[in-house]
Amino acid sequence: MRDIFRTRRMWRPRGELKDRYDVVIVGGGSHGLATAYYLAKNHGITNVAVLEQSYIGSGAAGRNTTIVRSNYRTPEGARFYQRSVELYERLSRELDFNLLFSQQGHLTLAHSDRALITMTERAEVNQLLGIDSRVVGPPEVARLCPELDLSHDVTWPILGALYHPRGGIIRHDAVVWGLARGADRGGVEIHPYTEVTGIERSNGRVTGVRTTRGDIECDTIVSATAGWSTLVADLADVRLPITTHILQAFVTEPLKPFLDVIVVSSQMHVYVSQTDRGEILIGAEIEPYTTYRGTSTFPFLEYSARHVLELFPQLENVSVLRQWTGLCDLSPDYSPILGVTEVDGFVVSAGWGTYGFKAAPIVGTTLAELISTGRTPELIAPFTLERFYTDTLVSELAAAAVSH
Amino acid sequence: MRLPPSPEERIDRSRTVTFFFEGEPIEAYAGDTIGSALFAAGRRVFSRSFKYHRPRGLLCCSGHCPNCLMQVDGAPSVRVCTAPVREGTRVRSQNVLGSLDRDLLAVVDKVGGPFTPVGFYYRTMIRPRRAWPYYERFLRRVAGLGTIDKHARRSSRFDTEHRRAEVLVIGGGPSGLDAARAAARDGRRVVLVDEGLALDAQLPREDGFETIAPARAIGIYEGGLVPVDAGDVLLRFRAERVVVASGAIEQPLLFPGNDLVGVLLPSAVRRLTRLWSLRPGERAVVITADDRGLAAAEDLRRAGTSVARVVDLRTTQPAQMAARGSHGRVRSVSVDGDSVDCDVLVMSGGSQPAYSLLAQAGARVEYDGTRGIFVPRDLPPHVEAVGSAAGEGARGAAAVPAASYRGTESGGRCFVCICEDVTDKDVKRAIAEGFDSIELAKRYTTVTMGPCQGRLCHLPSIRLYARETRAEEATIGTTTARPPWAPVRLGLLAGRGHEPAKRTSLHHRHKELGAQMMWTGEWRRPHSYGDVAAEVRAVHEGVGVIDVSTLGKLLVSGPDAVSFLERLYPNRFGDLKPGRIRYAVLGTDAGRIMDDGTIGRLSERDFYVTTTSTGAETVLAWFEWWNAVWGYDVSVDNVTGALAALNVAGPRSRALLARLTELDVSPDGFGYLDAREARVAGVPCLLLRIGFVGELGYELHFPSPYAEYLWDTLLERGADAGIRPFGLEPQRILRLEKAHVIVGQDTDSESNALDANMSWLVKFDKDDFVGKWALEHVRERGPRERLVGFEMANGTVPPEGGQIVVDGLPAGRVTSARWSDAVGKAIGLAWVPPALADEDSRIEIRVDGRLEPALVRLRPFFDPDDERLRA
Ligand SMILES: Cc1cc2nc3c(=O)[nH]c(=O)nc-3n(C[C@H](O)[C@H](O)[C@H](O)COP(=O)(O)OP(=O)(O)OC[C@H]3O[C@@H](n4cnc5c(N)ncnc54)[C@H](O)[C@@H]3O)c2cc1C
Ligand code: FES
Repeated sequence: MRDIFRTRRMWRPRGELKDRYDVVIVGGGSHGLATAYYLAKNHGITNVAVLEQSYIGSGAAGRNTTIVRSNYRTPEGARFYQRSVELYERLSRELDFNLLFSQQGHLTLAHSDRALITMTERAEVNQLLGIDSRVVGPPEVARLCPELDLSHDVTWPILGALYHPRGGIIRHDAVVWGLARGADRGGVEIHPYTEVTGIERSNGRVTGVRTTRGDIECDTIVSATAGWSTLVADLADVRLPITTHILQAFVTEPLKPFLDVIVVSSQMHVYVSQTDRGEILIGAEIEPYTTYRGTSTFPFLEYSARHVLELFPQLENVSVLRQWTGLCDLSPDYSPILGVTEVDGFVVSAGWGTYGFKAAPIVGTTLAELISTGRTPELIAPFTLERFYTDTLVSELAAAAVSH
Repeated sequence: MRLPPSPEERIDRSRTVTFFFEGEPIEAYAGDTIGSALFAAGRRVFSRSFKYHRPRGLLCCSGHCPNCLMQVDGAPSVRVCTAPVREGTRVRSQNVLGSLDRDLLAVVDKVGGPFTPVGFYYRTMIRPRRAWPYYERFLRRVAGLGTIDKHARRSSRFDTEHRRAEVLVIGGGPSGLDAARAAARDGRRVVLVDEGLALDAQLPREDGFETIAPARAIGIYEGGLVPVDAGDVLLRFRAERVVVASGAIEQPLLFPGNDLVGVLLPSAVRRLTRLWSLRPGERAVVITADDRGLAAAEDLRRAGTSVARVVDLRTTQPAQMAARGSHGRVRSVSVDGDSVDCDVLVMSGGSQPAYSLLAQAGARVEYDGTRGIFVPRDLPPHVEAVGSAAGEGARGAAAVPAASYRGTESGGRCFVCICEDVTDKDVKRAIAEGFDSIELAKRYTTVTMGPCQGRLCHLPSIRLYARETRAEEATIGTTTARPPWAPVRLGLLAGRGHEPAKRTSLHHRHKELGAQMMWTGEWRRPHSYGDVAAEVRAVHEGVGVIDVSTLGKLLVSGPDAVSFLERLYPNRFGDLKPGRIRYAVLGTDAGRIMDDGTIGRLSERDFYVTTTSTGAETVLAWFEWWNAVWGYDVSVDNVTGALAALNVAGPRSRALLARLTELDVSPDGFGYLDAREARVAGVPCLLLRIGFVGELGYELHFPSPYAEYLWDTLLERGADAGIRPFGLEPQRILRLEKAHVIVGQDTDSESNALDANMSWLVKFDKDDFVGKWALEHVRERGPRERLVGFEMANGTVPPEGGQIVVDGLPAGRVTSARWSDAVGKAIGLAWVPPALADEDSRIEIRVDGRLEPALVRLRPFFDPDDERLRA
């Protein structure tokens, strides 16, 4: 409690770069910081630097719509994300920083019987893995979200929904700062405004990185650069089957409590939640074209507004306050690419598309374990880069295309 | 109490308007805004602040600041200072518990203030975890501003209009007008939009250009798109040249007590006195860094307010400055220890160019140290800035006011961001905690994230931040300007907001027959006509007809048509004779199944390709893409909408058809997988003898205007044979009995033709086809899972999407399942591990949480040798 009043530094001021670290983590987003935090905490590996080209959380970590859930479609995916949700549930206490994790429940609407089949499949897989997830009919939807327009004279009547009570939203900045503070207190160095411009190798292994603030030697490099993943992997001559797209979102002016559950409609490419600040947060699916240009578009506002009013006509007079855009690194099967690559010591966390924020803690723990033990943890074995050579993809298209 | 009439005033004293505030009638003049009318009625407190529930009064009277947000006719957060009065409007305060003057939540300010330093929520309420949901509920309840009527419906009053102009001028101030006139003189087509004209001196409608007001440009988007909020119409402007004359925004000064009711920006004084003939108060003090403050002092004097003191920051640089108040209203101001009583305090911290539109269009924003403001630089092509928006003039703001002023004693708080209730202490604390880059500090303190989007706090917060971190403002950079420039209602953005839906030409017939309609993609289709079992029986025993107009239909023709199709599909077509049909599966370059359909060869160089109902668009795009890549001499025409299609199926379909056509429909004359062109009931048809539903059947494709006629004729002439229309549900049962696959239901984005038991159609000996490399790889690797049929041991129908369970874990999935009367069993299709993909393998399927046994079947459940189909 005293902590509230005392001004305590969250982390040390940025210092000089050392000549050598055991591990260099590229990217100060949620994954880079989580990996750093767990390296120090779980494995005592502290000679670690996180290099971030801008400020921490400047990438997708600070722009995402923070949906945390585990009702995925494939057993591999569902199991993995479930572990992450469990870690998130404990993380506020562990970091002694309130991440404002609001497990309000998550409803994915079905507007067609085809959608209901997919949802049944997800619910069945989820239940077998011990994840709280079930298909509910319109009366239950009405109970969970009385604000929804459940009438039949709309274009896409609601036939049911996949309900995931433990799904929620979290404060993205808090996650970034809590992890950064934890990593810093564990002894890891965080270097904002330090861009990696080259990756040194010899005999097929990494030996160091070049940065805008000088060169560093290291044994292991973790690229946790999300939307920039292919650019950084290119520096190590590793090719990733990833394309970068933009994803947009917007918030309205803050309202008194209106919506107590997260609502997703894949059919209408829209999802809606209300943040603890009262803003209605609305997102869509990825833009179909590839780009690194983070400009927001107007058609996005128009079609999202149209779709959200189909679901919540009462929001007609509520105003949009601001919109923004972030980069997303999309893999062909909507599952991540995690772990080792053909270059020794070059480890990646990539292919996160629109759904990687929820995975930060599990990525952090598993990559830290991989670095410490040299072995790929079983939980992430299905997600290796190698699967694109062996053609053993893990398709989450049905569960991740719109509901992030 | 109004001042004597003046020629400048905007109110019409001969016309009164009555509206309701908190249920009480308020009398106003035409020309008033809700804000001015309430002020005239003596109201001074207009809102309660976001966090501390401090009383707040009019501040800018320009629609920028958050101080006058109210609920107006159910719409939350309306800036009443600029909202015109309308008869009968119902206005309520928002974010108060009790009333505006007595808000119970104001205790937060008294006791909570010191307990809720910046970011306090990150550090509290962590333990015990069980209590967090309760804390959270409380937090949510106190957060947020307006409320909405949960039962409100769409008004459908909004519309969208597409507009063009050669020159679009944004802003009708002097420089905007000059720019518009000049461009008009050059003979350009000019449109000028202004958000506030209705309020300030009314513009004469000028010749030479069009003026739209009040109309607010909300952004300059890609491709020069400028959406303009014109009330109930959204104007989507495209212009060759956009001139931004959005002016400048008056900036507050930072000193303790700067949020008290009675503290005004110069624009508020100007508008209150000149437009609405209102006296802002009795006794005023003016503290200013530019001429605007001096002008406000003049306005005050004219309105009969005595101006007790004017502090011109260009000539005096006080070290200390603070306002003190009681009950939230300003009572006195002290400057360097010298205290003056007042009930109005005008502050003017200079003005900041309103550059947001420019920044959003791609301009760089740079700090000008001598003037203490941000100015836009490097404008993108076709965008210009004129007047104060360009940083011109910012007249008289030669004096850069101190970042913030020290108060005297403890007490009054100095607000950096009034929207979010962030004080200078909060900013200092954030920096001390390590949030030492402006973006981090912004996110942590939430400065600039309130309803005004930083219009009033962006500049002061950066200057304060620079001072505290001992950095130059110029090196700090600025936080990104995020569109839109001003809040826009969702209803306006949505416009009429229709969602597209597709209906076949027979839609009304289906309705008349009492069909239950359902969605398949964007199509509305009959689920059934009321009796699924009878419809199935009709097809098995007599004849049925189903509307399959939703099938995608493409005509592929040209000398290279065969090469084109052979390279697209894994199938072979070179050996397909004219008049013959082949089932084909389209694959992606990764060898995944994308779509399926039948391909009929009409002549040497013409092919008729059908696709799934939902896949038509994708397949067409795919065809066109590859055709462009390969450059074949082929044309692809989409005839999906032009042609309707009916499937007439059942043992008696031949007899029915024979009555209606001269075509030889005998088994030898028109065999299975033959295609023929002929007239049926006089309608020119393409007849395809195929059998998705597993009985003898004919698909008739014909110009859609004939659809109702042909449908009626079939039903009429088939009546004695017991013809029945059948819907999608019976069709699904029928095709499942034949184990026919529905792409997209029985397959997913990872399925390939080999694992889906369609290896017979993949011709690996062809030179190349899309996905060949990938399928070769699959062949080498062997299957990962296989699509098989199954029948339930005890008749329970498992859910579609149900799981095949092995050792308690998901190992496969049911994609289709139905009860079949014809088979007398619950049957289905499922993906199973290869080890279980043998005839008679036992699998277990989870149904309602229990495991139910089933047996794998590799052949069709009904008529396994296709005897009926080929009859
Ligand atoms: C609008 C939007 C909504 C989303 N919604 C959700 C959601 O609801 N739920 C969910 O789970 N996920 C969501 N996501 C996805 C999620 O945000 C990302 O998958 C996840 O944040 C990626 O991991 P990260 O936080 O480590 O990435 P980032 O925060 O992007 O971190 C990568 C960092 O690498 C840095 N970097 C890049 N190149 C270099 C270099 N050469 N040198 C140094 N540093 C470099 C970047 O500056 C950046 O800070 C959303 C994404 C967006 C854009
Ligand atoms: S004053 Fe409006 S956002 Fe800060």
